[in-house]
Amino acid sequence: MLNCDQYLMPETLEEALAQWAGAPEGSRLLAGGTDILPWAREGRAGHVHLPVIIDISRVKELRGYDVADGRVRLGANVVFQQFLTDDELRHHLPCMPHCSIWFADDQIREQATLAGNIVNASPAADGVPPVFAMNGTVEIARLEGGSIVRRSVSSRDFITGPGRTILEAGEIVTAVTCDSMAGYGGAFEKVGQRRSLVISVVCAVCLVKLSADDKTFADVRLSLGGISPVPVRLDAAEASLKGQPVSRESVLAAVKTAGDLVRSRTRREYRGEVVRGFIERAIEDALADYGVALSPPEMKEAALANT
Amino acid sequence: MPTLDMEVTVNGRDVKRRATTQMRLLDFLRNELNLTGTKEGCGAGECGTCSVFVDGKLVKSCLMPAAKANGAEIETVEGLAKRGELTYLQRAFHKTGASQCGYCIPGMVMAATGALRENPHAGFDEIKERLGGNICRCTGYSKIFEAVELARDAMNGSLPTTALEGPGAGDSFIGNNVRRLDAPSKVTGALKYAGDMVMPGMLHMQVLRSPVAYALIKSIDISEAEAMPGVECVITADDVPGEDGFGVFVHDQPIMARGRVRYVGEAVAAVAAEDVETAMAALGKIKVEYENLPAVFDPEVAMAPGAPVLHDYAPGNIVKHIPIRKGDVEEGFAEADLVVEEDYGTQAVEHAYLEPEAGLAYVDPDGVVTVVSPSQNITHHRHMLAKIIDQPINKVRFIMSPVGGGFGGKEDMIYQGMLALAAMKSGQPVRLVFTREESIVSTAKRHPARITYKMGLKNDGRITAVEFRMVADGGAYGLSTEGVMRKAAILSCGPYDIANVKIDTYGVYTNNTPSGAFRTFGAMQAQFATESHLDICAGKLGLDPFEIRRINMMRSGALTHTKQKLGSVSLGLALDAAEKASNWESGPADVRGSSRSDLGKAGNREPCTLGSRIRASDGAGGKKDVA
Amino acid sequence: MSSKCRGRGMAASWYGIARTATIDRAGAWAEIDDGGTAKIVTGVTEIGEGILTVLAQIAAEELGVRPEDVTIGDNDTARSPEAAHAGATRQTYMIGNSVALACRDARVRLDSEIADHWGVDAGSLKAFNGEIWAEKTNLKMTMEEAVDICKKRGVVPVGSGSFTAHGTGLDPEDGSGSPWQAYVYGCQVAEVEVDTVTGEVQVLGIWAAHDVGRAINPRGVEGQIEGGVVQGLGQALMEDYKLEDGHTTTHGFAKYILPTSLDVPQINSILIEDPDPLSPLGAKGIGEPSLVPTAPAIMNAIYDAIGVRITSLPATPEKILAGLVAKRERQGTRRHAAE
Repeated sequence: MLNCDQYLMPETLEEALAQWAGAPEGSRLLAGGTDILPWAREGRAGHVHLPVIIDISRVKELRGYDVADGRVRLGANVVFQQFLTDDELRHHLPCMPHCSIWFADDQIREQATLAGNIVNASPAADGVPPVFAMNGTVEIARLEGGSIVRRSVSSRDFITGPGRTILEAGEIVTAVTCDSMAGYGGAFEKVGQRRSLVISVVCAVCLVKLSADDKTFADVRLSLGGISPVPVRLDAAEASLKGQPVSRESVLAAVKTAGDLVRSRTRREYRGEVVRGFIERAIEDALADYGVALSPPEMKEAALANT
Repeated sequence: MPTLDMEVTVNGRDVKRRATTQMRLLDFLRNELNLTGTKEGCGAGECGTCSVFVDGKLVKSCLMPAAKANGAEIETVEGLAKRGELTYLQRAFHKTGASQCGYCIPGMVMAATGALRENPHAGFDEIKERLGGNICRCTGYSKIFEAVELARDAMNGSLPTTALEGPGAGDSFIGNNVRRLDAPSKVTGALKYAGDMVMPGMLHMQVLRSPVAYALIKSIDISEAEAMPGVECVITADDVPGEDGFGVFVHDQPIMARGRVRYVGEAVAAVAAEDVETAMAALGKIKVEYENLPAVFDPEVAMAPGAPVLHDYAPGNIVKHIPIRKGDVEEGFAEADLVVEEDYGTQAVEHAYLEPEAGLAYVDPDGVVTVVSPSQNITHHRHMLAKIIDQPINKVRFIMSPVGGGFGGKEDMIYQGMLALAAMKSGQPVRLVFTREESIVSTAKRHPARITYKMGLKNDGRITAVEFRMVADGGAYGLSTEGVMRKAAILSCGPYDIANVKIDTYGVYTNNTPSGAFRTFGAMQAQFATESHLDICAGKLGLDPFEIRRINMMRSGALTHTKQKLGSVSLGLALDAAEKASNWESGPADVRGSSRSDLGKAGNREPCTLGSRIRASDGAGGKKDVA
Repeated sequence: MSSKCRGRGMAASWYGIARTATIDRAGAWAEIDDGGTAKIVTGVTEIGEGILTVLAQIAAEELGVRPEDVTIGDNDTARSPEAAHAGATRQTYMIGNSVALACRDARVRLDSEIADHWGVDAGSLKAFNGEIWAEKTNLKMTMEEAVDICKKRGVVPVGSGSFTAHGTGLDPEDGSGSPWQAYVYGCQVAEVEVDTVTGEVQVLGIWAAHDVGRAINPRGVEGQIEGGVVQGLGQALMEDYKLEDGHTTTHGFAKYILPTSLDVPQINSILIEDPDPLSPLGAKGIGEPSLVPTAPAIMNAIYDAIGVRITSLPATPEKILAGLVAKRERQGTRRHAAE
């Protein structure tokens, strides 16, 4: 059960920052609240009594998004469902509808924010690998001498470990800014113990863009979640694919060593086994989303079955 | 307690109420507005029994602090239709039989309403996805899907509204799909489960549970808790006036731990107070001194000499051993052309009924101790409680409240005794509502089992002998273990005519969560092994799975493993029917998947790939065309 | 996609109806009430399976009224006769039959008054759907009128019923005995798709053929089969209550994974009616038996698809993938040895 002495709902960023800066030790920020309420239960944190909860979901400045100079700036209150329902977001962030549909369920997506998912910094967070892949930066604000001071950090530097970020006292994440990936094919793969409303064991995101003749990879973005304390961007695999012909061989060559990335303490063998095929599938699905089919693989499990 | 003033619109009416900061929207609706159609199933956003609309968006009200909803327009299941009427969707749920226990149904109706509001033409896959956050444990979802598609088509006019009506009388009510009489009360959220019930002056109970698996209780000090303002009584084993013990077969479990705790989550003491928060705070004031004992968590270890003993009456930790002998297995194996041995394992399974345990007890003006709870066995509970509280049987009354899913898990009198004792001690009605976590940690599971299987067969597929040994983890208390072992043994080797069998099932005490009754009562574990084993043997003999079963099946007049002479045996009919309906292509049980031609035909569902609505709105072309 | 392999498996099952290896019993009271309605009182009913409706159907059929005119008073040890417990696939069999017997008893009272009133033989009376008539005559009235006449003649048409199922205990040495008087049998076929990249299994179709004796409400029986199959599927593929030294690591539904709407196959139910000769209704049961063959049918289908035999439930993606790796290693070794 979650309780607090004060539940505050600021309406402006300045108000929120002031309240946050003045909040006693142990106070919490809350946006969607979909993580913090389940956290305050038996088997996890148990009954939690916080001095102050600051609910930032009504802060005007954190709403909505802008697209400018090839970047999409997502206010911290943008919820996952918007990536499914908002045509402009779908156009610019073509992997996000796929990520969203795998993220929790329709009801939680109406509340849960991408920014909150990043701040929670779970190794299995579905929202983080796409942000890494889209060169996401995290915009942070704090009050200094009564005025708002902002800084931006690469999303990959923002998360430092499971549940750990570089956020400092008094700071609030105000936006997440990503490359516009308009024109890319996007895909998101996830495996858990079922398909709906489940924590990822492994998830992968891919964005692809091909040369004008569709023959070679012009740009590939790949990242993985669930396999290590912090999700990883597959820089080497991306680099190795760029300029390569669009073929199964190129893909297999690029993902050959992906299993080595697995650094989880649990289910390590399984994760190692899954990731290569998983990245291959993510690339294949992103290509399909782009409108190009990859040649069929050489070996079928079914053909192996009777040997 | 910190409060805030709530001003919301609920089902079209403006509401002003003071709420506490710890209330979730769910609590506000249920406790302040008595809108109990919105249920609590898990409290963690995982089940959807609490789905409501907030400003037109479907959300899980257990994940929303009440404060967050301040100023919003809220719609609950009670507001979907005018009183006495049903929406198209509710009528469709009624028509198709989409509600069983009904506990998930208000949330499911809300999710389905949300799905069709978002997309009145949603296809089957999209409907499935939009219901993906709402768990139903009874129906297997099939009749729910059918209802949503029916309602969609009726709303869109592609089906006449008469499609929502029930069947006529025909020439008989037997074999007639009469609509469920209880469905309207379930689809509207009107039905009150025990946790929805209130009585004037009602107290709230919270239970202190063991944090350790096996320990002596050196002392329990309740003085500080009892002295807290708002606390009406604290009860422990000392408050039991009669013979303290319950269980379906052996009465080995005290109402609250007596001298020893035997599993994590076992009730040790309980508090009845004027509100849940006070009761919970009082639990923290109860001081229990434990002295840990060496515990045992593996049934094979528990059976071995020298293992810690859990119950004095059972020095070998065996709750029950059921032997069945027929013929001579050694002869049978000697006669066999093929002997196949394999080990099987099944896990502990949680019943996961959507309604967590809840109950309400009071002493009526005639001194009758009355317990209202979703009990699957009020008759036996009455007998046991009468002994426990040392009262004549007609001074104990059990009323079975609507059961929000049972599956065997509500056969145990795991909490009703505490409620009765507290009602007797305080003289006031007392209610206890479990959290999901409490339900999971403290109530029975399906017995995890390890099975050793040895089967002898002739080359023509006839089984000559079976040796079957099952060791099941009964956990800390007996509950239904004896009966589960018996049923597992009787049914173990399946409906097959086998001349020589040697069957042993053992239910064993350990310091794990107790195992108990769960739909199939041991038959599932045993027959999982038998049916897997038969396929392995069929593969080795080059036989079709149906064929090996037909060769061995019991026929009318056969003798069972317990030497009962059977009357009519319908197994052949069932085999024929399943084979025909599935258009089964016969062949040996040997990895035929890649070559069979009966796959992917009628009767299957498409594999689930999420994102039907993305594909629908993308059209056929890829991103290239869009860009 | 090539990494998806399909296969099929089947499993058969049997099950005993009502309490095991003991005498089982249940009681009920019936009253044909004013307005041609009816009251049925019995000690135990609905846990979600639909027994309330089944009892109303049985009472309606036996009494000649409509199911919606039947009020079931139940669930109270101080107000209703013993019907024992809601479990053991005994509700339709035990309580259904006791209600049928109670209704027949009440009908004897009513019929004798109406037969006398009409001057016909009570054996010629038939009643259905709110009307009562004497066969081969044009004598007919509503049940409302019939109850009115009966009461004006000074008789309240009440009845009671007790139904017994004769099971015997097992011999403690060799287990011999006759634990149930009624058995049911079933068979299920499962079709699955295994993803060999992730190890995930999707069940696409289940064909479930079950003997239920007699289906009082076929749609309700289907509902029981569908629910049982999905619980079986959950146990087959995902559900796993875990403990570490007695402490659970699966506290809530985020860790204890249940099937959702996205995990369920199409379920094709085939109802077989081999009536029970020892009871008035001929119905047997379906609640528990529906779950028994599901998990082995799925495991057999997985083996058919990929040649991996899962002997320990649940068949998680991890176990499937580990099984595939082991299989490839074995095949590699075998191929090597053959060279």
